[in-house]
Amino acid sequence: MHSNGFFLKDVAGFLGGYYAFIALMNGVAAVLLWKRKNQAGWAIVWSVFAGAMMVLASLALSGSESMVPALPSAVRTLVNKLSGPMLYTVGTMALFTALFVFRKFFVQPMVAWSILNIAMVLMGLSMADENFAAIVMKPDNVPIVGLVFLLAFFTWVATKQAVVNDERIAQGLPPMEKLDDEKVLVWPDLVYTELICMVAVSAFLLFWAIFLPAPLEEPASSVKTPNPSKAPWYFLGLQEMLVYFDPWYAGVVLPSLVVFGLMAMPYLDYNKKGNGYYSIEERKFSYLTYQFGFFVLWITLIILGTFLRGPNWNFYGPFEYWTPYKVEVLNNVDLPQMFWVNLLDRPLPRPPQGAGTLSQIGYILLREAPGLVLLGAYLLLLPPLLAVTVFRGFFAKMGFVRYMIMANLMLLMLTLPIKMLLRWTLNLKYIISIPELSLNF
Amino acid sequence: MADNKKMSVAEILAAARAGGGKSGAAPKPAPVAAPEAEGDAGSEPAAPVAAAAKPAAAKPAPKGDGSRPSVADILALARAKKGEGEAAPAAKPAAAKPVAAEKPAAKPSAKPAAAVAKGGPKTGVQRDTASILAAARAGAKPGPVSKADAPARPAPKPKPAVEKAAEPVRAAPPMPVKPAKPAAKKADDEDRRGFLQIALGSFMAMGFTALSVTGGLFTLGLARYLFPNVLAEPPSRFKVGFKDGFPSGKVETKFVAQYGVWVVNGEFSGQQQIYALKTVCTHLGCTPSWLEAEQKFKCPCHGSGFYKDGINFEGPAPRPLERYAIRTADDGQLEVDKSRAFQEELGQWADPDSFVTV
Repeated sequence: MHSNGFFLKDVAGFLGGYYAFIALMNGVAAVLLWKRKNQAGWAIVWSVFAGAMMVLASLALSGSESMVPALPSAVRTLVNKLSGPMLYTVGTMALFTALFVFRKFFVQPMVAWSILNIAMVLMGLSMADENFAAIVMKPDNVPIVGLVFLLAFFTWVATKQAVVNDERIAQGLPPMEKLDDEKVLVWPDLVYTELICMVAVSAFLLFWAIFLPAPLEEPASSVKTPNPSKAPWYFLGLQEMLVYFDPWYAGVVLPSLVVFGLMAMPYLDYNKKGNGYYSIEERKFSYLTYQFGFFVLWITLIILGTFLRGPNWNFYGPFEYWTPYKVEVLNNVDLPQMFWVNLLDRPLPRPPQGAGTLSQIGYILLREAPGLVLLGAYLLLLPPLLAVTVFRGFFAKMGFVRYMIMANLMLLMLTLPIKMLLRWTLNLKYIISIPELSLNF
Repeated sequence: MADNKKMSVAEILAAARAGGGKSGAAPKPAPVAAPEAEGDAGSEPAAPVAAAAKPAAAKPAPKGDGSRPSVADILALARAKKGEGEAAPAAKPAAAKPVAAEKPAAKPSAKPAAAVAKGGPKTGVQRDTASILAAARAGAKPGPVSKADAPARPAPKPKPAVEKAAEPVRAAPPMPVKPAKPAAKKADDEDRRGFLQIALGSFMAMGFTALSVTGGLFTLGLARYLFPNVLAEPPSRFKVGFKDGFPSGKVETKFVAQYGVWVVNGEFSGQQQIYALKTVCTHLGCTPSWLEAEQKFKCPCHGSGFYKDGINFEGPAPRPLERYAIRTADDGQLEVDKSRAFQEELGQWADPDSFVTV
């Protein structure tokens, strides 16, 4: 479904203001840079860019639908074709790695500013697509758009300070935070700030609630589930996890482990460095583990669930129409099926008719043997193996108990991306599948 | 605040005199008085006390000091230790400015001072600050309290805490001695409260017993709440029509809204059957939708998919959809019974109650 005139007329006014805002933003940046004298080149770049944005704004407001700047239809089709859960997850992991490795490049203010501008322009161009706008401008989803930009900003701020500190530490200087050691009182300094923030945020929320009212849906019915049926935005990561696991694991065990793991962190951490100041170089392992769990396994899943999961929980490209009739050929198979039937070409071990309970359990164990062996090796063999290889230093410093807790938490966290990749590559449903006991993994 | 912690006697006195409302003014002049009062107290002998008593007695003018005469007493004591000439300047800074008590304080002091003159000077005992203060706090007769003072004064008769003390102390030791714990008391208590203690262990146990009984009753009440008196639910048995209404391969969705059932005429394990599938996804309980074009049930929540026979084949659903009991009623119509469900993974679909052969 392609954008029609009525839609474009509706969205053109918003887009005009949006581009004008980008122009204003860059104009101010150019003026500020010009005043600094040493950044004149960048000031010129941004003022030219601001002029281009003003052109886009006037095009959007020209009143002619065909003039509204939009991505070419070929590009949109290509993006839709390329996008998929596999590319999305692998892509976010690659992006995460690139951001980490080249963090010194990305934290430069001008680079960050360029990325922000590119992101905003791309979003404006995409907004001229009806399907994209329908999802992004839905009142439910607006906070997620805000979340993307806010998280990017705060991560940039923290990373920049960490990079600066790491450079200073490498030169033998104290971190920035140690230079400004002035004590601030909780009362009144902090409490007053919080009070002002509280008032400002309340006012903001009031205006938000007035201008973007929550959508009212049809009356609830136990036999009718909305399609797609989505959890609140902050639980969409959880809902995405549930696609790959049995409810007891993705809905109970993993969330509990997240909470438990967060609580255990200060006790597992033996690294005294980085206390009271930002640093990545001094705490690479902690930094990477946390950011991986937070960004890749939580935030990107929220974004995936919000923008890219449509009816029947199928994956839809960003410019794709959410049709409930999209056919996605999936045939998920359990590991026992793969092992016994596909690999050994034998039927699944089944207890004979009228077998006793014990013999039934025996047959179930036999049937699930490959999964049980794999999982057992993963959880029982890997930690000691890692202790003598990759995590040798950790094991020595942490001691047995702390190391085992850390290793198991980490391995259980990694079950999620592993299972996701197995689902997409091998169409694997469950590694262990005991529906008789409602026990699947 | 910090000043209060280290208030000297003089300060306390000043504060006391200033009264509750005027207490703010008191601390200011107090520090000036403090060193004087303390310094003098040590150096001056007890003798002038008698001298002070005389002129004081001459002017016995206790002005309505019912509530806090003790303050005045203490002041008089302090002043009596000095010469009378010195008393005035000492009192001046000590008393807060607005305090009208300055005068009365000086005058009514006579009475207690005289009292001191009678008993105090003879024994030659000097009151220390602790006893003065204690007296001030007690709001009663000034008297020795601390150990240093104790010998000067007959020990107060020990008041036995329990009336029925076996051996009340008759002698007058310097300090009251606690009466030895009488053995009889315990026996008495056992007589009185023994029953409950034996029955319930202790008051703690009583409390917890009451709590658990209440909790248990509350839980029972809650459980009762789960079984309402009136239940507006469609009957669990209902007729869906004759067999002819379900041609081969058809998934009837018209009973979903009211009963939550798909009636399907399909093939299962090589046999053509009519069966009733429960419209609850076995993953997390959403209602899947029947997609005619793709010939599958698809759940909107996490994308689980089921074949027409209810077998799960895609997405996270761990087991097939469940079947309800179905039979041919006496009038030839098909009757679905929702009170019984059959699960494939438990081998229950072989049960003849779970389907009707076509």
